[in-house]
Amino acid sequence: MASLFRSSLRTSTATAIVPRLSRPVTTTTTTSVAAAAVKCTGMKNLGILRQAGMAKKGFHVSASRRILPAGPQIIQGTVNDAAEVPDPNATHGSYHWSFERLISVALIPLTVAPFAAGSVNPVTDAILGATIVIHSHIGFESMVIDYIPHRRYPTLRKGAMWALKGATVLVLVGLYEFETNDVGITEAIKRVWRA
Amino acid sequence: MFPRSSARLTAYALPKPFFIARNSLVASQFRRTTTSASAFTQIVSPDDAHSILVARRKQRPISPHLSIYQPQLTWYGSAANRITGSVLSVGAYGFFAAYAVAPAFGWHFDSATIAAAFSGLPVAAKFGIKFAVALPFSYHSWNGIRHLLWDTGKALDIRDVYRTGYAVLGLTAISTICLAMV
Amino acid sequence: MNTAPLSRSLLRVTTLTSLKPTAGLRTFASVAASQTAPAEPGSKKPNTKQFQIYRWNPDTPEKKPYMQTYELDMNQTGPMVLDALIRIKNEVDPTLTFRRSCREGICGSCAMNIQGSNTLACLCRINVSDSAPVKIYPLPHTYVVKDLVPDLTQFYKQYKSIKPYLQRKTASPDGREYRQSVEERKKLDGLYECILCACCSTSCPSYWWNSSDYLGPAVLLQSYRWLADSRDEAKGARKSALENEMSLYRCHTIMNCTRTCPKGLNPGQAIANIKKEMAFGS
Repeated sequence: MASLFRSSLRTSTATAIVPRLSRPVTTTTTTSVAAAAVKCTGMKNLGILRQAGMAKKGFHVSASRRILPAGPQIIQGTVNDAAEVPDPNATHGSYHWSFERLISVALIPLTVAPFAAGSVNPVTDAILGATIVIHSHIGFESMVIDYIPHRRYPTLRKGAMWALKGATVLVLVGLYEFETNDVGITEAIKRVWRA
Repeated sequence: MFPRSSARLTAYALPKPFFIARNSLVASQFRRTTTSASAFTQIVSPDDAHSILVARRKQRPISPHLSIYQPQLTWYGSAANRITGSVLSVGAYGFFAAYAVAPAFGWHFDSATIAAAFSGLPVAAKFGIKFAVALPFSYHSWNGIRHLLWDTGKALDIRDVYRTGYAVLGLTAISTICLAMV
Repeated sequence: MNTAPLSRSLLRVTTLTSLKPTAGLRTFASVAASQTAPAEPGSKKPNTKQFQIYRWNPDTPEKKPYMQTYELDMNQTGPMVLDALIRIKNEVDPTLTFRRSCREGICGSCAMNIQGSNTLACLCRINVSDSAPVKIYPLPHTYVVKDLVPDLTQFYKQYKSIKPYLQRKTASPDGREYRQSVEERKKLDGLYECILCACCSTSCPSYWWNSSDYLGPAVLLQSYRWLADSRDEAKGARKSALENEMSLYRCHTIMNCTRTCPKGLNPGQAIANIKKEMAFGS
């Protein structure tokens, strides 16, 4: 029994190991036999009931990021070099973070106060509008930085940043027009909401 | 990946002794193969070794991520925060940009016109539009407060993260309905 | 199914393997087998569990990654996912490739994505109560070396970049050890235990999109480990290395890191503390 079992195991492992060893390494483009799926009929003896072959070639096995894919692996320097540390710039670091929080905190009273008080102060309303625009701009900027990596898509990144800046300027012009010619954000929302 | 400076590149990493010890059947098979001289080694300079590594790296696939990671309140909540924020901001940008260019195109984009157009809609449509605005506004506001709490260094324990997460969902549901009913 | 010859053959495998005992690395497969050896025929119904495992072979790079299904009898397999993987490797398919070492959650080698969430295979129990297959992937959004082995070169390079060692110029007053108070030492609890398994970093969507520039939760937790150390004198340099839009501030407090940490640590809290110290000083 044992010898019979052993020979069956030998054949199945042989298919798995031989092609691995017999292929020279320097040929990177290869057509060597895939050794991945091993039919292991003799393995039943070991308490393994069945080895189903490869199954489920679903989309979820390959990276599904089809929009702006990360691309092939590129490592800067050797494995023993530390990753590059960027030049310190607090404007893009802690100052930016604090400013972002300040704007967010300011939005709470600016949003609640006009509706709670019922009265509309044009200056408060203009500040609210500007704060919303800055908050949105920072949010969009964050998305551009997150989703358009500057290493792989430098031109697209620059284009997106400039497009965002242009859009924000246009929006600020629109906000100025709206605040000077119309009833203001708070009042406009109130009117539409109750229409 | 490559053996030190000797730059002697073995064709394949041999099975670790552990596995030979574990499964002597595999081991015996293995011995047979190695003695048949089908595995050969080759002298490779460090530069060549590096270029082989670089070439191999370029063939590597990226393991699956978004599509296989377990749906969890943590990252789903964060994604929702970004999506709701974008919806609101795109809306605001769209409105003000349109307002800025309206005179050039002869559009009527003032609040009175919009209010009049809105009042002409059926009740269900009114409620639907209000709901569609109130939902992202509510979620983004409540979750924004949660973020500000986190930025003070508090409630970052995983239990608190979940508690506040569910609180945000509950408050969002309540305030969305309230705002849409007004 | 006649189990008598089966168990005998299993027993044989066990004795063969025990010829050269490797301390601590005995698989549960053989242990379980030797325990169940005297079982009577048909006494225990086979309790099968499917394992769907991500496969990719660098020797056939043109072949896309695929999922391969293996079935094991849970009566003869150890309780942890690593036990199942080792059993598959030893007894079913020796080509299956994964990293493992300590099998007790201290080396961090067997970090992988199991049932959608990153953890150490050696600390992850196989759920035998349900019949759903166990899905195993490499750590998410990593470059795959082979099967379940991710390339962590960039991760280690980033770790090196934060200078993970004590930096100090002044000698201690008595010329002996650099002493700490109990409170000062307490600040390092929950930081020094990190084993750098990369579970948290590869669970972070921000790290998925920007792993070349964003340091990720694990390395930032390590960074805070040195920022919080009362003996370290390079706090200024450490902080200014994070003063840019990528290294630290790609963290959006998603908190997948803390949720997934197999050691129960809190990288999210550590990052929040760094941000606070950067903004207000410590």
